[in-house]
Formats: sequence, structure tokens, C-alpha cells
Amino acid sequence: MDTPTPSRRAVLRWGTGAAAALTAAPALTACGQTVGAARTTRQEPTRRGQKVKLVFWTWVPMQKTVDLWNRTHPGIQVEMQAIPANVQGGYQKMHSSLAAGNPPDLAQVEYHELPGFMLVNGLTDLSAYGADKLRDSYVPWQWKQGVFDGRVYTIPQASGPMGLFYRRDLFPQWGIETPATWAEFEKAARVVKARGGGARICAFAPNQPSWFAAMCWQRGARWVRTEGDTWVVDMNDDLSREVADYWARMVRDDLVFVEPDMSSAWYRHVQTGQISAWVGPQWGDALLRGNAPGTKGKWRVAQLPQWKAGQNASANWGGSSTAILQGSRHPREALQFAHWINTDRQAVDLNIGVGYGWPAAAGILRGSALDRPDPFFGGQRYNDVFAASDRAIDTSWKWSPTTDADFAQLQDAFGAAIASDGALASTLAGAQKSTVDNLLAKGLKARSAR
Amino acid sequence: MSTVISRTKTSAPGGRRSARPDRSAWAFLLPFVALFAFTFVLPLGYAVYQSLLKPIRSGPLGLGPATVGFAGLDNYSLALQQSAFLESFARVLLFGIVQIPVMLLLATALALALDTVSNRWAGVLRAAYFLPYGVPGVIASILWGFLYVPGVSPLVDLLGRIGLAPDFLGYDNVLWSIANIVIWEFAGYNMLVIVAQLKAIPQELYEAARIDGAGQWQTALRIKLPLARPALVLTGVFSIIGTLQLFAEPLIIKPLTPAVSSSYTPNLSAYTEAFANNNIYLAAAESVILALVASVLSFGFLSLVNRKERRDAR
Repeated sequence: MDTPTPSRRAVLRWGTGAAAALTAAPALTACGQTVGAARTTRQEPTRRGQKVKLVFWTWVPMQKTVDLWNRTHPGIQVEMQAIPANVQGGYQKMHSSLAAGNPPDLAQVEYHELPGFMLVNGLTDLSAYGADKLRDSYVPWQWKQGVFDGRVYTIPQASGPMGLFYRRDLFPQWGIETPATWAEFEKAARVVKARGGGARICAFAPNQPSWFAAMCWQRGARWVRTEGDTWVVDMNDDLSREVADYWARMVRDDLVFVEPDMSSAWYRHVQTGQISAWVGPQWGDALLRGNAPGTKGKWRVAQLPQWKAGQNASANWGGSSTAILQGSRHPREALQFAHWINTDRQAVDLNIGVGYGWPAAAGILRGSALDRPDPFFGGQRYNDVFAASDRAIDTSWKWSPTTDADFAQLQDAFGAAIASDGALASTLAGAQKSTVDNLLAKGLKARSAR
Repeated sequence: MSTVISRTKTSAPGGRRSARPDRSAWAFLLPFVALFAFTFVLPLGYAVYQSLLKPIRSGPLGLGPATVGFAGLDNYSLALQQSAFLESFARVLLFGIVQIPVMLLLATALALALDTVSNRWAGVLRAAYFLPYGVPGVIASILWGFLYVPGVSPLVDLLGRIGLAPDFLGYDNVLWSIANIVIWEFAGYNMLVIVAQLKAIPQELYEAARIDGAGQWQTALRIKLPLARPALVLTGVFSIIGTLQLFAEPLIIKPLTPAVSSSYTPNLSAYTEAFANNNIYLAAAESVILALVASVLSFGFLSLVNRKERRDAR
């Protein structure tokens, strides 16, 4: 039979027609299509007396602060929606909403994510709405995290200066002095292992590359820099390798638990005193308080151990901003809210209560909720330690616009290394290469530093 | 050649009979075709289209406005160069080779056992076995996750007390811990499919077998199993596809252990590319590759089974 039946021909014609329509229609628009955000920010005119509604996505439980705003600003009502933290789903949600063209007006975005959001045109240029004049209300280095090419793209919220949380009741029992250097910290770890009855000084969390980055930051490494229009990646440097070797030794000699931090297993160890210290950020205070209430009064905070005695180098872990996502219809009102929630004294005190971090607002510390002795830390004015830590952070550290991907790969490599020979330092070469590959895959210019 | 000729001969009269397309047939088909096009053909086409694109950057450090341009097959070659993506296929294949037979054996054994117990208990047991399927995969993974985490899990605690210290979330074990979750979820479902097939077997066959002197075992092996074959093939194909698409379980277990990487399974890899790395074009390419592998494997399995069936029939 030579000719197919008419019905089959009709089906074929329908099929090819549909396929052609399918491929042709988007193809026409492909050249003019922009990457990322499907909708751009535009100020919508509001009538007198009309209520503006804003949506705010965050994983810090700031509902009380938002309630305060709604009570005091009847014309601009903000609805806070809790989202999963950062890469555990929060950013995935934001990126999908940007691509779909229905983003919230405001969202919490960490400093190291901002370049990545820039890459998808995900942030509103706030200079166009007068953000530049707010600059003096903020700590300069935190403000600069959101400035790209001279334009302001986000309002800083808080950072995470690091320190050493430790159990004041357990250390003397084992005859340990608060370690001031990393060498002393290692010695202390050996004592805890020997005398602690199954306890360890802390945990090494292979799932926390941003913690490891902070450790390298303190050592003086600089993972990313720019030369002309090229991103230069330098993760496999001697300083980072030294940090990696240090923790590899701690893991190999069984001086630390190896488990994800801030997980149920980790909290269990913290609650039972099996973990007696945490190299953590200031915002970790709320986590300890909330998840290990039984250890109240037993914790103290000390300066981050130093690589050389007498040094004063610190690091930052985490840090978030309140961004106005691309596509908002009320950027002016959103900016007003973002500025208020991060600088109003009452708002900041409420935020501190839920562990939002180290305020980005300038000169707000004195007299704030941070500026008082705390019973959870046995009456220590522990934030004085973090204030000193904050001043000692080298603020020239830069983030790559592919941090999420880079961290995911570093995390995978750490997991694999610990399962095999435990050589953490040898993963850095691979991490550096994959970071360069990630940048290239985004269509950027990039190379390895060595 | 001969088969082709014989087929056209038989189909030719059929073609003449329906010289005009039957309008009512189209009306009946319309809801299906519309849904199929909207939820399957269109997204598939869009994924293929997106897999052929890439961003083109401008401005200082590439942070300026970017446009989308055609990439040809760049995304595909990039995906196939990523060793982690290729390893994820090896991982799900290994997973499937072990997990699918274990699960289907268990499902078949349960189905055969249920077919022999009295009717009153059969209903209760069937419901009990089927119950885990009603628990969404995410919830099931969270439940099992708690049972795997040392310090929290009563299971690990108990096993530790009798001198065993299983590391369910360890590098070598976590794949099988995930397999356990999947078996728990789907063994009952597959059992139900097989039970339905067994119920369709005519009672006369059993009578004939009994008259021929066959016992319970022989009836099960010689009559029930061969006749349940279509159900086994069906569950096999579903399981192959399901295994390749493994996603929710590793995603939920991931925060509990560093052993589950961000590209642990092909689907997780595409998810990471799309939403963590924000490269939807590469993610689309990975998804298309996954779809191709899934269809090759399931059609391969079907043709393998059918060939054997034809050989057996001869």
C-alpha cells in the first residue's frame, strides 16, 4: 500500500503543524528575550487613601516586627510569608517566581547571593528610587555588599561576625583554658576526647561550605577577585589548604564529630553537652537558646581562636539583606519598609530577639537589645565579643556570582573526601576548577589564579 | 520483509472501510488529546527548546543586561562532560538493579500469599500493605530520616545496645537506606497491581490444576505466576521509570548527611542546575537526556520481555 489512509495523513499534518508552531513561536522572541526576571519593576500610581499591599519573603521569624509596621503604617500593609532558609528552598522559590513574573515585593537575600541575583536581573535598581541618601544609616562594608557599578541594589539587614561559643561549666572540669589560638584549640580538642567520656570539642560539618569559607576568610585567603572583566578564582591557595589540613587532622584523629550542623543530630549533641564548643556566628545565639534551653547559663563567648598568638583576625559567616525583587509594583513603599525594618530602633530590637544577626544599621548597638548582660550566657555581655569581632573582619572579601553552585560542589567534594581518605585540601583544586567552569557556563569570563 | 507485506495486506481493507475520518472518534479523543498536548507535548517541546539556548552576557564582569541566544548542542555536551551527572546515572542504575527485583519479589510474594489466605483477612492485610503508598514520598522520607539519624532514632539506639552500630546515613549505606524507603512506599502498590491480575485468573484453571493433582506451590508457580506476567511487566516498567526519576527521597535525606550530593540522581542534578545554579538551559538538557534514557530503558525492557514471550509462544 502506497498511500496512507486520510486519517493518518491528517494526524501527521496536525502533528508536524503543531511541532512547527511550537518551535517557531518562541524562536521569534528568542533574540530579544532577556535572561532571568520575566517582569521588571515599575512604580504603580496609587490613589489617595488607597492601601498598598506588599509581600515579604523571609526565613527569619520577623512576624512581630512586621506586625509593628502594619500597626504604625496603615497605608502600607506588609504580608510576611515564611520561606525555607536559603538554598534549602528559599532561593529556588525566588528564582522560580522571578522567572514566572510573580515575585514578592521584598525578599531576604544573603550577601553572597547578591551577585548571583544580579546575574539574572533579579534585583531592583534602588538608586532610581532614592536609596543613595540612606547610605549613612548603615555600616559601610555591609552597605557596599549591595552596591554594583555605583548603583544600590539592596538594603543591608545584618551580618554574622564569628566567635567561639563554649561551655563554661565543662571546660574547667577537663582542665581546659579557653583556647586563644587554633593550636590551643586542637590541644583542647585532644583533652576533651581523652577526658570527656565520648564528648568532642565540636563538630566538623561537611555540609557547611560557607562556614569553611569563613575559616579561610579569617586565615587571609581571598577566593574570588576581579581583573578587568575577568573573574579570578583562588581557592587552592596555601592559606585555604592550611585551613583544610587543620580540619582534616581534627577529623582524622577523631577529635570532632562529623555531622551536618544545625541538624537534629547536632542539636542533640549540643543539648547533651557532647558538643562543648561551637565556632559560630553571632546569630547562632538564638539557635543555642531556642534549641538547647536546658544549657541556659552554661555558655560563654570568646574571641575566635587566632592562627598566630596576639593576632586579631575575624571572619563573617552569613549576612542578609532586604532586597526588592525585580517585578515589584511598589518599589517606593517597599524601600520605605526595607529601610524601616533595618534601622528603626524598636524594629531592630524585635529582630534581634529572633536572631536576625548583627545589625547593619550604623550606631544602633549602644542601648539596643544586644547591649546588655544575657542570662543564657551566664550574665556575660557576650555581644561585646562580637562587636570586637565585627571590627576585625577584613571586608575586602568578594563573592562569585555562582556561589550556590560552587558551594554545592565543595560540599559534595568534602563529603566524598571524608568518606575516603579525608584529605580535604586535595578537594580545593577541584572546587576551584568547578567554580571557574560554573562562571564560564554562565557566559562569564573566568580563570584560575594558579 | 515478509511480515511487512502480510501486515499491509491485512490493513488495506481496513483503510478502505474508514475512508473518512470518524468525527465522533475525534470527539471522544479530544479531552485526552487536549490534556496530553497541554501537560505532556507542550512542556516536552518547551524543554527541548530551552535546552538549545544559552545566556549571552554584556557589561562589566558580565553583570550587565544579558540576552538569550542559541547554543546548539552546547548544553548537551556540557551535561555529558559533567562526571557527577554521569555518575548519577550509574548510581540509579545500580539502585534499580538491586531495588527493583527486591521490591517486585516482595510484592509478588505478598500477592501470592494474600491470594491464598481467607477472604476476611485478605482485605485487612491488603489495606495494611497498601497503606504506605498513601503516605506522600516526602513524608515517608522525613519519617525514615528520623529513624536513620543517630542520637534521635530509637532504631539506631536499639541496634547499638545489642552491639550493632549501623551507619544508615554513611557514604556506602545511604543509597540502600533510600532503597528501603522506596520499597516501603511502593511494594504494597505493586502488590495490589499483581493481586488484581491474579483475581482475573479464571477459577476453572485452578480446578483443573487441582484435578491434575497440583498443590498450592505448584499452582502458584505454574499457573499464577505465568498468568500474572502482564502485571509483573507493567510494574517492572513503572519501577524502571520511577527509579530513574528518583528525586524526593534523596532531596529530603540530603540535609541529614553529606553522602547525598547535589547531583545524587539525574533529577536532583537537573533540579540543582535549574534552581540552585540557576541554569535552566543546562537543566533542560539534562532533563531531556534523562527522558531519553528512561524511554530507551523502558522500551528496551518491553521489547526484551516481548521477544521472550514470542519465543516462549513458539
